[in-house]
Formats: sequence, C-alpha cells, structure tokens
Amino acid sequence: MNRDRLVFLVVVGLFAAVNLGLFLSGRLPANAEGVGILLAAGVSLALYSFLYKDNPLFKLAEHLYVGVVAAYELGQVWFQNMLPDVLPRGAAIYEAVRHPIDVGWALLGDPRQIVTIGIQVVPVILGLFLMTRLTGRSVWLSRISFAFIVGLGAGLVIPRRISAYVLDQLGPTIQPLWTEAGFAFSPFLILLGVVSVLIYFSFSFEHTGAVGAVSRVGIWFLMVSFGASFGYTVMARLSLLIGQLTFLLEKWLTLNLPLW
Amino acid sequence: MANLTNIDRRWIFLAVFISVLVPLLVGFHLPVKASPNVRAIYTSIDALDAKAGDTVLMSFDFGPSTLTELQPMAKAVLRHCFRKKLKVVGVTLLPEGVGIAETILSDVAAEFGATYGEDYIFLGYKAGNEVLILNMGEELRAAFSTDVRGTPLDDLTVTRPLRSLGDMAYVLDISAGYPGVEEWIQYGQERYRFKLGAGCTAVMAPDFFPFLQSGQLDGLLGGLAGAAEYETLIGQPDAAVSGMRPQSVGHVVIILFILFGNVAYFASRRGGGS
Repeated sequence: MNRDRLVFLVVVGLFAAVNLGLFLSGRLPANAEGVGILLAAGVSLALYSFLYKDNPLFKLAEHLYVGVVAAYELGQVWFQNMLPDVLPRGAAIYEAVRHPIDVGWALLGDPRQIVTIGIQVVPVILGLFLMTRLTGRSVWLSRISFAFIVGLGAGLVIPRRISAYVLDQLGPTIQPLWTEAGFAFSPFLILLGVVSVLIYFSFSFEHTGAVGAVSRVGIWFLMVSFGASFGYTVMARLSLLIGQLTFLLEKWLTLNLPLW
Repeated sequence: MANLTNIDRRWIFLAVFISVLVPLLVGFHLPVKASPNVRAIYTSIDALDAKAGDTVLMSFDFGPSTLTELQPMAKAVLRHCFRKKLKVVGVTLLPEGVGIAETILSDVAAEFGATYGEDYIFLGYKAGNEVLILNMGEELRAAFSTDVRGTPLDDLTVTRPLRSLGDMAYVLDISAGYPGVEEWIQYGQERYRFKLGAGCTAVMAPDFFPFLQSGQLDGLLGGLAGAAEYETLIGQPDAAVSGMRPQSVGHVVIILFILFGNVAYFASRRGGGS
C-alpha cells in the first residue's frame, strides 16, 4: 500500500470516527438536519482534499456539486418561470391553433387584445423555435430567435455601455486641477493614470522618447492596479476559507467560537 | 537556497490553514473602522423614513459558492433596515439565489419580529437578467405579477404602493458576478436614476471604484471586510467582525510568504541560480 492510499484511508476513517462520536454524544442531531450537516462537512473536506492531491473523493464532490446545482436551477426555472409564465401562454397558443376562427373573431372584436396577446405569446414562440436546435429538419427556425436575441442584445447593450462606461466616466476623469483650495492631487493622479495607460495601449507608434517615458508611467499604474486586484483576491479567498472553517467548527464540530 | 525556492506548496497551504484556524479558536479584539464607501450606504439607509413608507429593494445575486462572503453583509444591511422599520423587497436575478435569499430574509426578520407581507416580501427569481431589471423599471407587475409564494403584489402591504424601481427609496445589489452590479448600474440606476448601493465579493471590488467616483454607485461593501465595517456601524458585530481576526493573521502570513519568496528569489540569483 503506497503512502497516498494510506493517507486516504486514515482520513476517511477519522471522518467516520468523528461523526460516530458526534452522533453518539448527541452533539449532532440524529435527524435530517444532522445528516445534512454531516454531508456538507464531508463534501467540504473532500473538496479541500485537492490541496493535498487529486483523489476520488474530490472528483465525487465536484461532480455532486455540478449535478445538484443543475437540478436546483432547473427546479427554480420550472416553478418560477415555466409554470406561471410559459405554460399558460402555451395553452393559449394551443387553443388558438385548435379554434383559429373563434379566436380570430374574438380578437377582431377587441383589437387591443392583439397587442396584449402578442406580447405574451411571441416570446414563447421564439423560445420554442430555439428548441428546434435539437431537431434536424426545422433547425432553420431557431435562426429567427437568434436574430431577435442578437438584435435585442446589441440594441440594449451599446447605448447603455456607452452611457455607463464612457459618458458618465468622462466627468470624474477630467476634473479641474486647480481649485480654490489649491492644486488638486487626486484629479491629477486620475488624469495621469488614464492618459499614460491609454498611451501604453497605443501601438500605432513606437514607444521611444517622451512617448516611451509616459507609457512606462502607464505600466506602473497597471502594476498598482494588478496589485490591488491581487490583494482583494487574496482577501476573498481567505474569506471563503474562514467561512467554511467557521461552518465546520461551529455547525459540524459544535464548538463555541469567540466573537471577539 | 534552491531548496527554498522549490518549497512544496502544501507547506504554504498548511501555514495559511493554521493562520486562519488559530485566530478563529482564540478570541482577541481587532479594531474595525468603517471606510467612506461603507459609511455612505449606512448614511443613506439611516436617512430613510419609515413613516414616509420608504422601501429598500435588495437584490440577492449570489449563490452558495460566495455565501460566506456575501451573507454577512446582506444580514447586516437587513438588520439596519428592520431596526429602522423600513419596508424591504427582496429579489434575485439568479435561480440559485432563491433559497439563500429566503433563508436570510426570514432569519433576520425573525430577529426583529418583522412580518412577511407587512414589513418585507420576496419576489423570487425570473429569467431575463438585465431585461428583468428594465422590466421592473418600467412596471414592477409586468416583471412580477406575484411574489415567490404566488400572492398578487396588490395583496401585499409592502408592494401595494410600488409601481416601478423609481418608487424604491434605495436599491442595494449584493452580487458575485453576472448578472449583478454592472447590470444594475447600466440598466437600472442609469435609466431610472434611483440611489444604488452595491455589495460584492472582494475580487470584484476594485472594478467598481470608478463607479463610486462618478456617483453611479452611492457606496460599496467589498467582501467580508465591507460586511465587518457595516456590522460595526450598526453596533451588532457578527460573523464578519469575527472573521477579521483570521483574515488579518492570514494576510500577515501571506505577506511574509511574499517577502520570503522575493528574498529567496534574489538570493538564488545572486548565488548563480537560474
């Protein structure tokens, strides 16, 4: 038996012994909640075991997570979108197909209904067209839906992006450098950062002389930005570790952790 | 020296693990001071008037993978809202956010004796991402005709006077990615001009600082530290403040490793290593 297999068996055995002790001592309730905590603790430890080495328990937990999330999302979409929003409209479409003349007369009697029903029914039809990707012959219908998605996406995104990322950012980027209080350092720093980074990413001319000097300042701004992002990333990853360890210590091992 | 630069990474994992575990078990006090970005959200919510029927919309756009970072800030802001007896409307743009949002809302509501329907409601999830935000901005009932429990919005005290996002006194998006803060800025705040605050994972926080500068965001809660600052402001320290001990010690250990790595690297170069 090699060392890794021995470590694997020892850890699994230790986990089983700890859980047995927790259940026998009554610290973990012998009900659905207790089993849920045990499962969550087991999956957490299985995922962290990757830090030592890739192993079957990690693979199991990884695939379990993907499966559970997929099923949970499907359930949420079914109960909160398909059932209340899509299926009643699908039933209306089915009714219209079965009795086109009756429905047509009813709509002619109240033309406003055409717009209302159109708003409700057209998205469902476009959604059904997307499903034709799964078929062979009528796959061309899905292109109508994709054309709608691309057109809508471009129409929504382009003006909003320009507004939020360019126009609204211009004002705070170009602030007065001299105010009544004197020289404003922060606006100068922002202006210098924006200009130098823009020059660094201008590849149409050679980065020598004054242009090279300014682009080197741009590199420094980028380095500071990467450093800040890395610092925040470390903070985020540690926070996740803290949260999961807190769960393991408080909920699984039922320890009382100090607040201060 | 070559041995130092080729150290097994598992020793680093072990050191970080111990640096987080020990401060969790051993209590000591570290001061937590609120930054201006966190204080801005606190001040805005504190200025709201319950008697005027001010309503706060909270969008829980995160799943279980970032729960440990974002749940404390959601709880802290909710505690502030319920303490001030403000009405709260919850919503999520992610299907996996439904269970999380429901649990957080009901747990914090129970602490303050807040009643569902009277003091807070949860709209649930609808597909559409940014389009859903636009839809809510135009007509709330077009996006959600009922709450998550199937009750029509006109039958609920909280939502009866609300017609669109413009009727919200404050909107806070707590997000872990897409759809999230950027979508709420572009399709919500930009278009309907409501006051928007954001809470996000620490990884995302640097990306949103330009929006603070431009006033598109009112304030920002960045990661567990942001949550700890908010807990301090409301005077109710909880998981986030407690997490600052291991966070601080962990940071010191990582800084020491960075310094150690650099010293080892330059020493190995001086010694003729590659």
